[in-house]
Amino acid sequence: MLKDITLGQYYSTDSLLHRLDPRLKIRATIAYIILLLLDRNVALFGMLTVVFVVAVFLSRVPLGHMIRGTRGILIVVVLCSAINIFTTPGTGGVSILGLTATSAGLIKFGFVVWRMVLMIFMSSLLMYTTTPTELTDGLEKCFHLSGNVAMGITIAMRFLSVLSQELDRIMKAQEARGASFHKGGPVKRLKAMSKVLVPLFQNSIDRAGNLGEAMDARCYTGGKGRTKLRPLVYDTKDVVGYVVVLVVMALGIYLAIRF
Amino acid sequence: MIKIRDLAFEYFERDEEGNLTDMINAIRGINFDARKGEFIGVCGKNGSGKSTFARILNRLLVPIEGTVIIGGKDALDEDNILDIRKAVGMVFQNPDDQLIGSVVSEDVAFGAENLSVAQEELWERVITAVEQAGLVAYGARADGVEKYVDRRINELSGGEKQKVAIAGVLAMKPQCIVLDESTSMLDPKSRLEIIKTMKELNEKLGITIIMITHMMEELLVADTIYLLHQGKLVAKGRKESIFSKDSKLFDYGLDYPEIVKIREILLENNVIRDKSLFTVEGIVARIKKEHPYSFELGVKLPAPMPEHKKIDPVNAILVDKLSCGYGKKKVLEDISFSVGKGEYVAVVGATGTGKSTLLQHIPALLKPMSGTVYVDGIDVNDRTTDIQALRCKIGYVFQYASQQLFGKNVYEDVVFGPRNVGVSEVEAEKRAYEAIKLVGLPDDIYDMPINKLSGGQRKRVALAGVLAMKPEYLILDEPTSGLDPVGKTEMLDIIDALHNEAGITIIMVSHDVETIATRADRLIVLDGGNLSYDGDVAMGFYKQWCDGQDETAMSNIPVIMQLLIKLRLAGMPVDCVETDMARGVENIIKCLR
Repeated sequence: MLKDITLGQYYSTDSLLHRLDPRLKIRATIAYIILLLLDRNVALFGMLTVVFVVAVFLSRVPLGHMIRGTRGILIVVVLCSAINIFTTPGTGGVSILGLTATSAGLIKFGFVVWRMVLMIFMSSLLMYTTTPTELTDGLEKCFHLSGNVAMGITIAMRFLSVLSQELDRIMKAQEARGASFHKGGPVKRLKAMSKVLVPLFQNSIDRAGNLGEAMDARCYTGGKGRTKLRPLVYDTKDVVGYVVVLVVMALGIYLAIRF
Repeated sequence: MIKIRDLAFEYFERDEEGNLTDMINAIRGINFDARKGEFIGVCGKNGSGKSTFARILNRLLVPIEGTVIIGGKDALDEDNILDIRKAVGMVFQNPDDQLIGSVVSEDVAFGAENLSVAQEELWERVITAVEQAGLVAYGARADGVEKYVDRRINELSGGEKQKVAIAGVLAMKPQCIVLDESTSMLDPKSRLEIIKTMKELNEKLGITIIMITHMMEELLVADTIYLLHQGKLVAKGRKESIFSKDSKLFDYGLDYPEIVKIREILLENNVIRDKSLFTVEGIVARIKKEHPYSFELGVKLPAPMPEHKKIDPVNAILVDKLSCGYGKKKVLEDISFSVGKGEYVAVVGATGTGKSTLLQHIPALLKPMSGTVYVDGIDVNDRTTDIQALRCKIGYVFQYASQQLFGKNVYEDVVFGPRNVGVSEVEAEKRAYEAIKLVGLPDDIYDMPINKLSGGQRKRVALAGVLAMKPEYLILDEPTSGLDPVGKTEMLDIIDALHNEAGITIIMVSHDVETIATRADRLIVLDGGNLSYDGDVAMGFYKQWCDGQDETAMSNIPVIMQLLIKLRLAGMPVDCVETDMARGVENIIKCLR
């Protein structure tokens, strides 16, 4: 299960979206999320869905890969939004276990899920098409972060999958010695999990020490005077990209007001 | 290039309030010289101070006494730190915690970026470094190095990651590269490639190489060898003197390379009379020179017997048509074998062929996509199977002790297993005590915190934790990786005792061909997710060579067999399906005319 986590992982391929400037991609994603929160109507959401489909097509990231990577969150989203079905006042018919599902509730549920799915997919598309270094370079520029913070984020993202692999191995090693993470009440399970965290933290600290040493050995002194292999420079396609973002935004705002 | 005099270094141990509690002499009185373009090996057992020494070379640690001059600059002077780190690159042991970038190019560029190299030159350096480190073929630039340098680090094998680390150092244009046990976590093929790459860098670019290792075979490529013991320099010299009879390597927790051991037996038996041979080819040529009439024309290699041990359905462990994979990718395909009670089975195969994945199916830590695993006739994946009882019966020791140990001290850790399966506290305590005894650790280690233990001790505690479950079967994943020669022998003797005296069935994954050749009764070879061989050990190795017939195939078989095969190829009709050193030499003597 842990191997399925692909959130925040770069998908290595060559596509138009991969080659765009990360600053553009970050801003476009933010604009997209704002549009999603602006209003709730079919025209706006329909337009945004089309935008998403076009983006996925341009990114060459297989949709199946994206769904696998976000499956866990998607399930949580659907379950949480399902509360809407029963809590929204209105007319309805079916009642399950004393809860009445209303048609207004169903519609609201549909919209919430639609919105969340687009939001999650679009932000993971940003992760898939941008290497962690590019992403942090972009964040650094967009939000004026210091070089050290940016480096920290880069490394954290790189080690997500290393740590998830390690967690998997630690759990297996304890299971092999009779531990069980799937039996007993929540307290018992939490207690079992706490024993997994001890070696995970210990190893993370050791790793951090080793990594720090490796960075020192390669002359890292905190980012001052560092040059960049891929400096952020806008070119024509990025300018076109910004224009497209603005057009989509204008259209979105129009649709939000009009309908 | 490097000149070190009267070096001393100490580690200070402090308690929580910062008071000095202990002082460990890590290094005392070392003199060291490295000329430009020299290839130096530094060896010593675990804890001999060799890693501390490596870190001083790169000024990650500052010595308390002595002079360290690197590239004409005083390493003790704060202002020279960056110059020294630029001149002396380091490649560390663990491929997983020294790479910073997420894709190859980012990581290779990291050091050069820190040196403020201009952007156009950065790309040039990255691509050149990737070529020099042997990650892509020379001249691959035309047909898309870009594609390679865009690969994700997480998708690379351990050997490739180490090459990326080497490339990262090369992009900084160093004069010297220090390898701190950089091959110890790799398989034989990757190890050979790394050593070859270093030799090439040394010869073609004139880079000084300082290789720190406890693998004796690797030292054979070095011009000069330094031998450290308890923080002191005990011997220095060329391989001829370091590996001579009177250098007392065993006293220092080390061993002789296999090829030297074989040469000594040949010398004792008067097969050859040349003490200066260090390669298989050299010995073959010498035998040919001294015994020309023993070689004939038209001697061919015997055909390997493609043995597949018969699957016995009533056997203790039965794996039946097992397949597994992630998504569409199949890791294992249609694997069947059985293991009887009391066997000692070794499983080999290149990294990534699914050895660990296969064995994790036996105690039901993984579920197969198709196929069944039976232990003592019980289907391990059946819903009604008592998983805990099953896992008591099958002990599984993982490769990295640090991922298994978590108790606050040794006792608490070992007692974890018995407590889980609900035996009484008295019984759990008794089992923990017995298990710690079985792995040969002293009684006073009970209260020792885990992080105070040495690597070898950790591996033993991890084994004890599994033994406390009283297993009938023991699965060991790389039980000797990272151990020095003495630690390795001790660990293998413990395993032998468990096998012979306690009657425990052993299934072991290992990259160490010499270990398998001397200890295991049976060999299972995995190749690309398929079971390609199952049977006698010597024949298994011989078949591996016959399947590849190249340098990689040679690195996968014991040295004595390498010698026998090369003699046979040269025309001596010697029986080459042999992995025992003494019997192998006997085979040679039999053929002498």
